[in-house]
Amino acid sequence: MEGILGNLFVAVAFLSAFGSMVLYGLAAWREESKLLEKSADWLWISKGVFTVAASALLVYLIMSQRFEYFYVWNYTSRDLVQLYQFSALWGGQEGSFMVWIFMAFLVGLGLMAWTRKPYKKPVMFVMALTQVFLISMLLGWDIFGLKLGASPFRTIAQEMPNAPFIQANPDFVPADGTGLNDLLQSPWMAIHPPIIFLGFSMMTVPFAFAIASLWKREYHDWVRPALPWTLGANLSLLTAIFLGGYWAYETLSFGGYWAWDPVENASLVPWLLGTAGIHMMIIQRKSSRAHKGAIFFAILAYIAIVYQTFLTRSGVLAEQSVHSFVDLGLYNQLLMFMLVSAILGLGIYLYRYREIPSPKTESNILSREFMTFTGGMLLFIMGFVIILGTSSPIIGRLFVENPTPPEIQFYNNWSMPIAMVMAVLTVIGQYLFWKKHDWESLASALITPLLLTSVAAILSIVLGDVRNIYYMIFIFVAWFTVIGNGAMMLDLARKNPKMIGGPLSHIGFGTLLLGILASSAYNEKLLDQRMQNYNNMVAAGEVYDEQGFPVREKAETFMLELNQPKLVANRYMVTYEGYKITNHPRPDQQQYRIRFEPVDGGRTFYMTPDVYPMQTSSTADNIEWSVEPHVRTGLTSDIYLYVAGSAYVEERNQRIRDRRNIEPVAGPNGTEMMPEVESDGPQKIKFKKGEPVEIGPYTFTFKDFRPADEESLPDNTVIGVRSLIEIYHKPTDSAYEVEPLFAVYTQDGQSWTYSPPLEVERFGLNVSFTSINPDEDNIEISFEGLQDEYEEDWVVIVAEKKPFVSVVWLGTFLLMAGFSVSILRHWSREKNTKE
Amino acid sequence: MKPKLILGVISIVLFTSLLMYNFGTSISTYVNFEQAENRTSSHVVGVWEKTEDYGFNNQTMQFSFHMRDEDDNVRRVIYPRPKPNNFEQATQLVVIGEMRNNIFYANDMLMKCPSKYNDPNEADFISAEEN
Repeated sequence: MEGILGNLFVAVAFLSAFGSMVLYGLAAWREESKLLEKSADWLWISKGVFTVAASALLVYLIMSQRFEYFYVWNYTSRDLVQLYQFSALWGGQEGSFMVWIFMAFLVGLGLMAWTRKPYKKPVMFVMALTQVFLISMLLGWDIFGLKLGASPFRTIAQEMPNAPFIQANPDFVPADGTGLNDLLQSPWMAIHPPIIFLGFSMMTVPFAFAIASLWKREYHDWVRPALPWTLGANLSLLTAIFLGGYWAYETLSFGGYWAWDPVENASLVPWLLGTAGIHMMIIQRKSSRAHKGAIFFAILAYIAIVYQTFLTRSGVLAEQSVHSFVDLGLYNQLLMFMLVSAILGLGIYLYRYREIPSPKTESNILSREFMTFTGGMLLFIMGFVIILGTSSPIIGRLFVENPTPPEIQFYNNWSMPIAMVMAVLTVIGQYLFWKKHDWESLASALITPLLLTSVAAILSIVLGDVRNIYYMIFIFVAWFTVIGNGAMMLDLARKNPKMIGGPLSHIGFGTLLLGILASSAYNEKLLDQRMQNYNNMVAAGEVYDEQGFPVREKAETFMLELNQPKLVANRYMVTYEGYKITNHPRPDQQQYRIRFEPVDGGRTFYMTPDVYPMQTSSTADNIEWSVEPHVRTGLTSDIYLYVAGSAYVEERNQRIRDRRNIEPVAGPNGTEMMPEVESDGPQKIKFKKGEPVEIGPYTFTFKDFRPADEESLPDNTVIGVRSLIEIYHKPTDSAYEVEPLFAVYTQDGQSWTYSPPLEVERFGLNVSFTSINPDEDNIEISFEGLQDEYEEDWVVIVAEKKPFVSVVWLGTFLLMAGFSVSILRHWSREKNTKE
Repeated sequence: MKPKLILGVISIVLFTSLLMYNFGTSISTYVNFEQAENRTSSHVVGVWEKTEDYGFNNQTMQFSFHMRDEDDNVRRVIYPRPKPNNFEQATQLVVIGEMRNNIFYANDMLMKCPSKYNDPNEADFISAEEN
């Protein structure tokens, strides 16, 4: 019932958007029609109202756990906390379209209120056009076998009409949903999609304005209103990229904030093109030049968004990305959307190309126009390189059949030099932007920043022990960006603090470069002595595997046994102090406690990584474990650590394997009875001198050897020695010492050992000294009467030291701040011109 | 105007050809295990063969498992790092590395995850009545 209502809402929203598009189009065509425009406005509002109604209904269905609806079943479950239940609204493909449409509605309202005369109607026409395409993805109509959209309100019966359980019972309702992927259950991920869709929606605005300017042949003024929107779109995208990167770093065990994954790239490219557009718009606004570039990039940035939507949602990237969607049958619709946007945008651009004003004179190389234009072009080239790499499943076919994605090096090798040239240009561009210079005056203005840069760069190179010449240049250039723009910002701040947006963003860019280099090139794996030696041998080619092949991959993990400190990276004494089962936020979640003691006397700290069973995919017969790294954030470096394996997890898995092999015996209440573990017989435990061993309530310590007196030894004794064992009983806080005897004697030409048990009456224990192992440097003591099993406890650790990740975040925040300042400035100027 | 234009065109052509050349060399093609025998570095797509043993060896610090490629060849794969976070969840694996003596030594592994974006599995359904 609700499903029909939901589909109705979507259908009305679609028709409203369609009507709104037609009326805005007509109104734009025939200048004089106030009525058409008013009706179009109302249809736009109606589209928004019904979108909100449909979203609210979907939220209601999710919250009331109506698992007969496919979307609800597929993305939520009963144990999901409320925040993530709500965020399931944009957890799936269909719902995320809905959020996108909703955001576009809000942006449209803003445009309606603030857009001036010649542009409003054509701008709204383009906005409505994009909405027609987006809402059509949700229709779920079947027109003579032609499927249009995938409805979020379809039921399981509609989704899988041929499934046997539907055939048997068409009213089938599942008891629980499949839930939200555990990795996505993070507050960062919950807010990431709405922000990205807000960015996408705002990026539609420059596209719409560019087309409106071409349509109305008003090439000058459109940048004034479009600029703040574009800046806003970029701020949103940047925030979303930051959230995604932070999530990848903190939650995933991929070990970094950026992996050049196609989906990550797809959000970066519109940002780069949008930024290129901003540069062009600024010159157009300031100097009435670069109209062609401004219009072109405004169009291209949006096409990039639609293209990335196509790549990630059509299933083209399915094999290449960790988070691409499976095709919902929307391939053709998405392709249409992309083609229409591209043909409309580029077609009208080419059609009007000759008419678009172009400057009469060439601009001087040493001019703000030339520098800003070049900056925009470099951003475009960078975007182009990344698009090329991301499009490898399509473009790669030119080279090979069935192409793989390019190696990461492809992206790094191209983007680094481009970024370096850009960095230098930001400084020169900023100096020229605010004041006219010739070569000589520019050189003299740059002397101080260059001197400061040299000092900073040399200090970084020496302190950071940088040996690579390429990195040295990179560091120099990045510092130059920070210092050059910094000097300019101080200068501007004194005159008018509202104008610092540009230099502030550029400082952010330079800071980001410094952070990226430090955190990725100087990333250090933290390993213990044994693994360091192993890796040195691997590097020397001295390690061979069972097959006799040389091992080339270095190890990245090391093992810690309970309470046995190890020296790690020659800097920390690291001790595993045990785990506790926190059951939070998921059942059976464990938290491990690892102590780091800097050997040079710094402060001791603890790392507490988690391991948990994935709720969505684990079953009683197969637990799928996932890890939650612990990141210790510091000003100069982060320590990143996770538990890659532990005795606890191993034992749980072993128990499952055992259960699978031994048929469980049904207990009296239908409960499964585990086969009892044999606990008779003595427990043999190996001791090293001075290392305590905990078993149940006891702590045993082998303190030292003691000489054995003659009388207690058998005849013909070869060796006879006692060991001093301290038994500490925690509950009573009492300690007791025993000295069990171990002797080897000969009789009839054979060697025998003699280990008489000693009784410890107060604890009900029998202790005997059963062996000495000089090779392993330990002794064996046997205990009888211990209630608890001695369990070995160990963890396998992956740890890295990442320098200056904080600087990456700082750079991002500075960029955001720069954009925000610019938005305020351009917005207030735009408002002032209106009044 | 003229010489500038020519210079521009030449640099664009140079840039594009260099870029395309580099792009062409940095991509590779997916193969199966048999084809991988004769290559130094290969990408192989497949699924985890759950019936065979798998696990992380604490001594060699390697994760080993069996993978079935798209042409149904099953081979042992050795991955020199701990088991990736959602290995078991992956509906598809891509291993990148070298084949030696019928064992695939992966130096990288990609997983097609998460299951949320995949087609539903009918076995996941539990009837409300049965519960």
